[in-house]
Amino acid sequence: MNELWPRLLVNYPYLAAAILFVIGTFTVLTHPNLFKKLLGINIMESAIFLTFVASGNIRGGVAPIRATANAEAVYINPLPSALMLTGIVVSVSVTAFALALIVRLYRVYGTTDLRRIVVRRKEVTGDDGFAQG
Amino acid sequence: MLALVLALSSGAVGGLLVAVLPAARSRLRNLVVLFFTVGGILGSWQVARLVWAGERLRLAGQLGGLSFSLEPDPLGVIFGLIASTLWLFTVVYSFGYMAGKAHQRPYYSFLLLAFSVTLGVAFSGNLVALYLFYELLTLTTYPLVIQERSEEALRAGTKYLLYNLAGAAVLLLAIVLTAVWGGRLDFAGGPILAGGFKIGLNWLLFLFTVGFGVKAALMPLHRWLPAAMVAPTPVSALLHAVAVVYAGVYGLLRVVYSVFGTGLLAELGVGALLPWVAAGTILAGIIVALRQDELKRRLAYQTISHLSYILLGAITLHPWGLAGAVLQMIGYAVLKTAFFFCVGLIAEQTGVTRVSRMGGVGRVLPKTMAAFAVTTMGMIGMLPLGTFWGKYYLLQGSVAGGKWPLAVVLVVSGFLNAVCFIPVVVKAFRAERTPSPAPEEGGVRVALMLAPTLLLVVIGLGMGLFPGLVWPGVQAVVDWFF
Amino acid sequence: MTALLRANLPVLVVIAPLFIAFILTPLARRIRLVETLAFLATVLGLGAAGHLATVVFARRGSPFIYQLGGWPPPWGIELVAGNLGVIFALVVTGVSVPVVLFARGNLTAEVGDTGRVTRFYVLYLLLVGALAGMAVTNDLFNIYVLVEVVTLSCCGLVSARRHPRAAEAAFTYLILATLGSAFVLGGIGLIYMLTGHLNMGFAGQELGRVWPDYPHTVLLAVSFVIIGFGVKAAVFPLHVWLPDAHATAPSPASAILSGLAVKGYLLCLLKFLYGVFGGVLLRELAVHRILTLLGVAGIIAGSLLALTQEELKRRLAYSTVAQVGYLVLGGGLLNATGLTGALFYLASHAVIKATLFLAAGAIQAATGKSRIRELAGVGRKMPLTMAAFTIGSCGLIGLPLFFGFIGKWYLLVGSLEAGMILPVVAILAGSVLCAAYLLPVIRTAYFRPAPAVAWRDPGRPQKLALLLLATAVVVLGVRPGPFLELARKAAAELMAFV
Repeated sequence: MNELWPRLLVNYPYLAAAILFVIGTFTVLTHPNLFKKLLGINIMESAIFLTFVASGNIRGGVAPIRATANAEAVYINPLPSALMLTGIVVSVSVTAFALALIVRLYRVYGTTDLRRIVVRRKEVTGDDGFAQG
Repeated sequence: MLALVLALSSGAVGGLLVAVLPAARSRLRNLVVLFFTVGGILGSWQVARLVWAGERLRLAGQLGGLSFSLEPDPLGVIFGLIASTLWLFTVVYSFGYMAGKAHQRPYYSFLLLAFSVTLGVAFSGNLVALYLFYELLTLTTYPLVIQERSEEALRAGTKYLLYNLAGAAVLLLAIVLTAVWGGRLDFAGGPILAGGFKIGLNWLLFLFTVGFGVKAALMPLHRWLPAAMVAPTPVSALLHAVAVVYAGVYGLLRVVYSVFGTGLLAELGVGALLPWVAAGTILAGIIVALRQDELKRRLAYQTISHLSYILLGAITLHPWGLAGAVLQMIGYAVLKTAFFFCVGLIAEQTGVTRVSRMGGVGRVLPKTMAAFAVTTMGMIGMLPLGTFWGKYYLLQGSVAGGKWPLAVVLVVSGFLNAVCFIPVVVKAFRAERTPSPAPEEGGVRVALMLAPTLLLVVIGLGMGLFPGLVWPGVQAVVDWFF
Repeated sequence: MTALLRANLPVLVVIAPLFIAFILTPLARRIRLVETLAFLATVLGLGAAGHLATVVFARRGSPFIYQLGGWPPPWGIELVAGNLGVIFALVVTGVSVPVVLFARGNLTAEVGDTGRVTRFYVLYLLLVGALAGMAVTNDLFNIYVLVEVVTLSCCGLVSARRHPRAAEAAFTYLILATLGSAFVLGGIGLIYMLTGHLNMGFAGQELGRVWPDYPHTVLLAVSFVIIGFGVKAAVFPLHVWLPDAHATAPSPASAILSGLAVKGYLLCLLKFLYGVFGGVLLRELAVHRILTLLGVAGIIAGSLLALTQEELKRRLAYSTVAQVGYLVLGGGLLNATGLTGALFYLASHAVIKATLFLAAGAIQAATGKSRIRELAGVGRKMPLTMAAFTIGSCGLIGLPLFFGFIGKWYLLVGSLEAGMILPVVAILAGSVLCAAYLLPVIRTAYFRPAPAVAWRDPGRPQKLALLLLATAVVVLGVRPGPFLELARKAAAELMAFV
């Protein structure tokens, strides 16, 4: 146990990632507001990105660009960062799509609160075959 | 080979043909139904002749890694002959009974489909084929159960499906286990599991008993059978006294003689228990029947009781017991069908469906009630009728098999059968009042129903007086297994 | 030319639908052309998958390996088309053809104007391409990208209807699916940290060496992967998004979502569990027990929930939850027989569920009714549709001579070989419950009197699609031999890691 804290502190990016992941997951699952849910998703994804990027990092290393670096410099691993670029693109498109859906829901229900949507569902949609919860 | 294909396919082809014929062409439809039924009968008689002559008929295929075969043996042939012969009588009776009723097209269509499926059960040569036809039998007879389309019929139909499908699921498990332990599934070539004793075999036998026991209406798995009596009477007569329930009994006979074998079964604890389950069902069934006021329900519980006669004979593991079981299968099927036909005749002509209102029926329907009286004798197992011989060998078999208390059960059951039905006959002939509306035993419709009934009674009498007529078939079964 | 084609075959299965998807958008005005192109794209995919199958068979066991861009692993992305890839590619492309045929000329009622219909096809083709990609890819990050493509296109398909409930279902699905993706990505990140590889083969080998040093990290990675794919594949109890999403989507989309998309995630899960973590690790962490239990719970709970649904498509959606249980269970048995059964069942369920959803969609389109008790007389008025539904039901219940039976048989035998009774009971109970929730539909459709309304079978392409699928259910049920052989080989490939 005594060794745990120093080790966690040395690996502080992972600690931060874990905390962010938990905050994000918790927000997604418990918050009734659609925007907050989306934010939670984004926080979760940031945590994952952080983990990835941190795993490629080497303290004191330099960016692996041939022209500027000297021969004996330690390069950091560029692959995780490159992958996370893809991850961020995916995350942005998910966010855009979710925002579009939220706008659509807001136009129909006049609210972004899930609890109020459930209440207003019946009066707005009526009984058209999808009435079952 | 051709005969086998003819027997199996004529019902299916006829059923599909009926399904596409215009609903209004009832005369043409009846002709088609009759034609394909006769075709099926000719096929199955030819199959029987060939099998008795010692020929090996086999249709086989592969289903993935599973083999799938049809290969009738003497026991299957007997079942097939009973079913196909009685099918003809039922079809003729139906022409009278169903005339003018609604939903005739689906009725005849599924009746013919069920014919093919029943013969499939009878002629199946391994457990996969047997399972397939067993499952199909449930599905093809379901529409016949809900023929009336009333709420009560639909409820009964649901019960029918759930009991039988659940039974089939248990059966599937038993078959998978047999495949894993026994390594093959074909009936030909002796008992599948004869190789050796294994720990789980008791459970396997239990699973088989439950799986087939549902259709054989072993108590306490029998509840669907009385419920299924909402079906039209010909259906009750043929399917729920003979074809469907015999499929279960036949399956159990297969389990005893083709899956486990007599030697192995004698070593198993559950095997020793089975006769007592059968004996319990015999007595409980007939006692519950005593308390039923509705005639068809009374007959249904009596069916439950009588099916276990057959089982009892098979489980004595003695040649005489098996002979008794087969004789009982034949004799009982003929007379029970006639019995149900009588009940249908009474209900159709006088509207009487309850025992308490039977008074005076014998006065207005003398022929029907005479037939009713004779079949009653048969149910008790009295001499001039075919069922006597079955009972005789059953008694002999149980004593010879060292289980004399079972003989006592049989005697008591015969007595209870007498208590159950003789008062009904007596009551019907005592003129308490004339049932209304006033009926007449005349007209084409009634003749179509009465003729097969009387003919069946005559056949039952003939089998009692000349048991030698059916004995070669019985002998073939006994020789096959012992 | 043919040599070039043959050399690039695994990519063709993936990129044919993807590329055609991108050229559809500007053609929105000419909807007939869009439909034809979409159909051709799926047919092309099927052709490529069939050709791929013959190539793989000709190689007798050694998989067909393709290096994207000519980069060898561990640097480049590798596509591996073994028997597992072939079976899934065949299923995906095979089912996608009748589904797109069914959509032809039939979507405007459900989706809206031609622009929206075109977008539907774009998403559809993206989905098919990405699923085919899942079949052949051998790279962890590539799997993540494909998973995201599938997720986004699925969400798009779910939200295709204008109905507010569709938007709601799509939002729930999107949020939960993204949650699942985050878990998957986290799991991939952990595996990468442990092994330094993204190629599945290399990562698996390395993980087999290093896992005793990092037991907690490995456990975390396994749980992330299972939860992530579990949410996406609707493994009970992570299925909450599925019924809404699958019941509100347009029918062709429901068919493809229930039939294929869910299976894609399950395939990825199997690839991860067997190919990366390996059998030793699974046994060590008792993952296979967890999978079996999840499967059993899914079968029972999904079937019971399906029983209580009044709406046809919703009932079918819950049934999917139950059927996913069979596949998870088969994956958890850790023996070749069970896995064969699971893979065979995967294929049969894909075909059968597509049949059922399309038939349900046709009924809904013709009658405007979605509740089961309102379907009285449909069997009389729409004979072909209802016949297809009946055949599909028989298959799902698992009657012999229909497609579903052999899969169930092998699952049963596999469970017995693994010495487990609980899965056996669940499989059998699942069959009975399946009959209990599907047969009432058939009963109502055939045996209740029809109202005097003129309903008709749908148009010719729809009929053809239903006919194709129903025929497949019967033909593959009567002659399962070659397909079973393929499933057996695919299972052997996975079992090689155990």
